Amino acid sequence: MNRPQDEFVASRRPAWDELDALLAKKSLLHRLPPASISRAASLYRDICSDLMRARAAGYSVEVIDLLDSLAARACAAMYSAPPYRLAGLRSLVASGFPCSVRRHARFMALATALFLLPGILGFVGALRSRGFAVQVMSESMVEQMEKSYSDLGRGRDEGTDSMMAAFYVYNNVGIAFRCFATGILFGLGSAFFLVYNGLLIGAVAGTVTAAGHGRNLFTFIAGHGAFELTAIVISGAAGLVMGYALVDTGRRSRWASLRAKAGDLFRLIMGAALMLLLAAGIEGYWSPSPIVAPVKWGVAGLLYALVFAYLLLAGRRGKPEGES
Amino acid sequence: MQLDNTVEVETPEHVRFRFHVAGPTRRAWAYLIDCLVRIGVLIVIEVVMVLATGHQVRWGHAMVSGGTLLSLFLMEWGYFVLFEAGWNGTTPGKRALKLRVVKAGGYPLSFADAVLRNLLRTADFLPVGYLLGLLVMSWDGRFARLGDRAAGTMVVIEDPVRVAPAITLDPPPTAAELEALPVRLSLSSSEREAIELLLRRRDLSPGRRIELAETVVPGLVQGATSRPGDPVRDPIRDPVRFLALVHFAATGGRAQGASGRGGART
Repeated sequence: MNRPQDEFVASRRPAWDELDALLAKKSLLHRLPPASISRAASLYRDICSDLMRARAAGYSVEVIDLLDSLAARACAAMYSAPPYRLAGLRSLVASGFPCSVRRHARFMALATALFLLPGILGFVGALRSRGFAVQVMSESMVEQMEKSYSDLGRGRDEGTDSMMAAFYVYNNVGIAFRCFATGILFGLGSAFFLVYNGLLIGAVAGTVTAAGHGRNLFTFIAGHGAFELTAIVISGAAGLVMGYALVDTGRRSRWASLRAKAGDLFRLIMGAALMLLLAAGIEGYWSPSPIVAPVKWGVAGLLYALVFAYLLLAGRRGKPEGES
Repeated sequence: MQLDNTVEVETPEHVRFRFHVAGPTRRAWAYLIDCLVRIGVLIVIEVVMVLATGHQVRWGHAMVSGGTLLSLFLMEWGYFVLFEAGWNGTTPGKRALKLRVVKAGGYPLSFADAVLRNLLRTADFLPVGYLLGLLVMSWDGRFARLGDRAAGTMVVIEDPVRVAPAITLDPPPTAAELEALPVRLSLSSSEREAIELLLRRRDLSPGRRIELAETVVPGLVQGATSRPGDPVRDPIRDPVRFLALVHFAATGGRAQGASGRGGART
């Protein structure tokens, strides 16, 4: 015969309240004094066995619910995720991100093709026919593009620079995140955004070049393009990786296959976002500055070399993070 | 509409416990609150920026627009990630509805999980108003939208620890009452559970309690002789007290011994 519920509750209640109080403390469990931590651990084990006993004895729903929620909270506190440290960011930049990029080199190549080929198509098309540009963009946007970039390189006031930098953060990081996230539709969303953005950027470049301001435009985008275009391609590639994980599951369940890639996906998209923040800074302050074109070209070349060297070489020594 | 469910997880100690998983309605309310919070924060930021840059500056001032864009970006992409990562899986809206995001194993989520599940909101939102997310949720016992599935998370309800009320018999049973009980006293566990469930329900009206008790009493008094006028032998007079007496006696001599514990049962 089982112990009556009320007697069980009355005898065990102090232990439950003690654990409840330990868990309710503001500071996290691992910051408590050692005695409290080991006390919490032993109380947790006791409560787990209380829960089993209560369930076996068929005690009322309230008791089991109470023990369930207490055990759940204690378990969450015991097995909590590692706290976030700045070292995590450093290792992401130093090795995690470039290693993940290299691990998915094929998807990088595919994403580059999905972005670059429509880009070339858009450029050539818009260069040759204004009607093509109007199809891709809109009449008003084509007109605006033809006018802009005619007087670039005179510099702006600081306020406008900051505003534009903020706009690039809002716009470009948003585009990258959307390009990544829609990859969960078996990669189709990412592929669409890569092709669409490639076509659009190509068509803009073609239109501006046709209007005779091509040199201005390319001087403008050369610097930040190293980071911006690369990051957009990487975020699209991350979306493709995500979509493909749902297709080729490698003897895992569909979602387990995706979760196995979660670490890589996180590193890729965070790396891309950091690159875009850098790009926004360059695009806001450096690209529109009145510095002469040859210097800008030189710096742009340097930045491209830097980005590719970083992605190809960084973190090659040592154990790659999250190898699967 | 309440569409909530429970999920059982097993810890490394091979202990299984249950989580109440939150359904779409509850999560939608939390989301609505979070949206209002975000709009409120944006309005405050705007007002502060306009005041800080001085009255002589027009609304369209570049710094104000820049600040607006940055805060828009933070609210759109950062709000959920930062709150869920820094506040152990909760946001103001989730707190209001007692929700928490945890890993499928019941552990707290990591920063990477918070990033993944919230970036994928974009996909869940498609084509409009989280329709895809809702559709995907309905396929899953944990109500996991796409972001939850990618990050391996679930949203659980965290009700505060409730006090299980003790069964009391007031006034305490007299010896005569106990003596007069029917002979058949070994209750099956489901009978005992049913009686306890009824006796613990304080939210029922007295009439309803009696009505429910009346449906059980005939099965228990079968074979027992009924003496009209006697409150025990005529259990219909107070079926609730009768059930409490039966329960008291059926939970054994231990329960009688327990009555000496400072009157805990009265």
